[in-house]
Amino acid sequence: MSYHNIEILFVEDSADDAALTIRALKKGGVTNKLQHVINGAQALDFLYCKGDFAARSNKEFPKLILLDLKMPKISGVQVLEKIKSDPNLKAIPVVMLTSSNEGPDIEKCFSLGANSYIVKPVDSDNFFKAVKEIGLYWMVLSQSAH
Amino acid sequence: MKKNNSDELIIANGEIVLQNEENTAAELIIAIKELAFQNEEKEHRAAELAIANRELAFQNEEKENRAAELIIANKELAFQNEEKENRAAELIIANKELAFQNEEKENRAAELIIANKELAFQNEEKEKRAEELSIANRELKNAEDDIRKLNDELEQKVIERTAQLESVNKELESFSYSVSHDLRAPIRAINGYTKIIVEDYGDLLDADGIKILQSIINNSKKMGELIDDLLAFSKLGRKQVTVSEIEMNDLVRTVKNEFVFEENERIPEFIVGELPRAQGDKSLIKQVWINLISNGIKYSRHKEKTRIEIGAYQEDQHIVYYVKDGGAGFDMEYYDKLFGVFQRLHSQEEFEGTGIGLAIVHRIVQRHQGKVWAESTLDEGSCFYFSLLRVNH
Repeated sequence: MSYHNIEILFVEDSADDAALTIRALKKGGVTNKLQHVINGAQALDFLYCKGDFAARSNKEFPKLILLDLKMPKISGVQVLEKIKSDPNLKAIPVVMLTSSNEGPDIEKCFSLGANSYIVKPVDSDNFFKAVKEIGLYWMVLSQSAH
Repeated sequence: MKKNNSDELIIANGEIVLQNEENTAAELIIAIKELAFQNEEKEHRAAELAIANRELAFQNEEKENRAAELIIANKELAFQNEEKENRAAELIIANKELAFQNEEKENRAAELIIANKELAFQNEEKEKRAEELSIANRELKNAEDDIRKLNDELEQKVIERTAQLESVNKELESFSYSVSHDLRAPIRAINGYTKIIVEDYGDLLDADGIKILQSIINNSKKMGELIDDLLAFSKLGRKQVTVSEIEMNDLVRTVKNEFVFEENERIPEFIVGELPRAQGDKSLIKQVWINLISNGIKYSRHKEKTRIEIGAYQEDQHIVYYVKDGGAGFDMEYYDKLFGVFQRLHSQEEFEGTGIGLAIVHRIVQRHQGKVWAESTLDEGSCFYFSLLRVNH
């Protein structure tokens, strides 16, 4: 498996949400190389080239991180905190994925420096639309961000 | 006879004179001497008597003066006596008066003694009563202390129970929050995968199959909405109510302008009266207006026109606001279900909805210590009222 030129790091513990999100991105025309990891620890391993990702070049950074908020062990908030406090990583746009906008963590995410968040809608049309827009926005419109 | 006696006497005398011529001369001298002495004596005595007489005369005069004085004095005394008798008579009258007064006073004193005894008795009674009252008072005080103690205990219990309730409430809220979150994921998957079947494998299915899949999609979508509503409702319990003065005219204008109508939708006719300011949480009260006005619009859909009347009136310390529509209305028989969570008085086919809107209105107004109520006539329309504390100036 090649970890080169990864443009999107996608952190999601739910296999279903991951499958639907990846499909939505593809259907929306986001064909950028994507790495899916299933928890916060793996996300940090990827970013710091440790564990399974020890072989990865630490000179390459993803252009976008899609980060699920609610994950066991290391939560999305903790991963976000780590990213935004690291001078090498903090410029990478992070979009939080949440199950609802009623969560108490949304504000905290923004105060920690999250660039955006999307509520995973139940309705697949909206879901696809949201993921597509987020993906396109950061991949196409924010090329200069990093 | 006398001539005889005198003659005899002259003869006798002449004889005697002759007889006694010698003796008698001596005797006479002696007698004369004696008589001279006696005469002298008598002259002394007469002088003395004269002196004594003069003295007596003086004394007599003195006595006469004295008698005159005495007469005067006597007269004076007589006058004084009379005076004194008059005075005595007066004194007797005065005395009688005094005696009468005295008697009166004695009577009065007797009465006073009786009255005094009565008072003493009453006093004693009062002291007894005071003692009884004092005992009763002590008992009352003890009872009061008991009540206070009970009250304190009750208060303590209330505090404990409230704390328990608050903690249970928090648990419930976090429970409903995480349940809603966790429920959303599988529904999202059901909805998403069904959508994929329709998109990718729709060609392999007949119309019935597609219809069934569409039902799955619609139902899962519906469930998602229910969960969203439940989350929104439980969020209300957590949300801090921040009270400020709300410019209600501005707020309602904003709400009205934020409604977006599709091309084929009817634009409602709004009749908005003067809306006084009230105290409340602006964002929450905005939600109340959104829910009530959108209900008015929704339930007027089957009518020829949509007419929404908004107004207010003052009632004591509150402002009562109302939203009136000429829509479908509801049966007042089911009024008690109107503000319940997920309670609906119309079918899904007739009017879509989850039944959360009025429950949210109810909860928001309740959290403002206000009241919410409604009046309706089936098929003629409804009027919803809510009250908020007015702004005092």
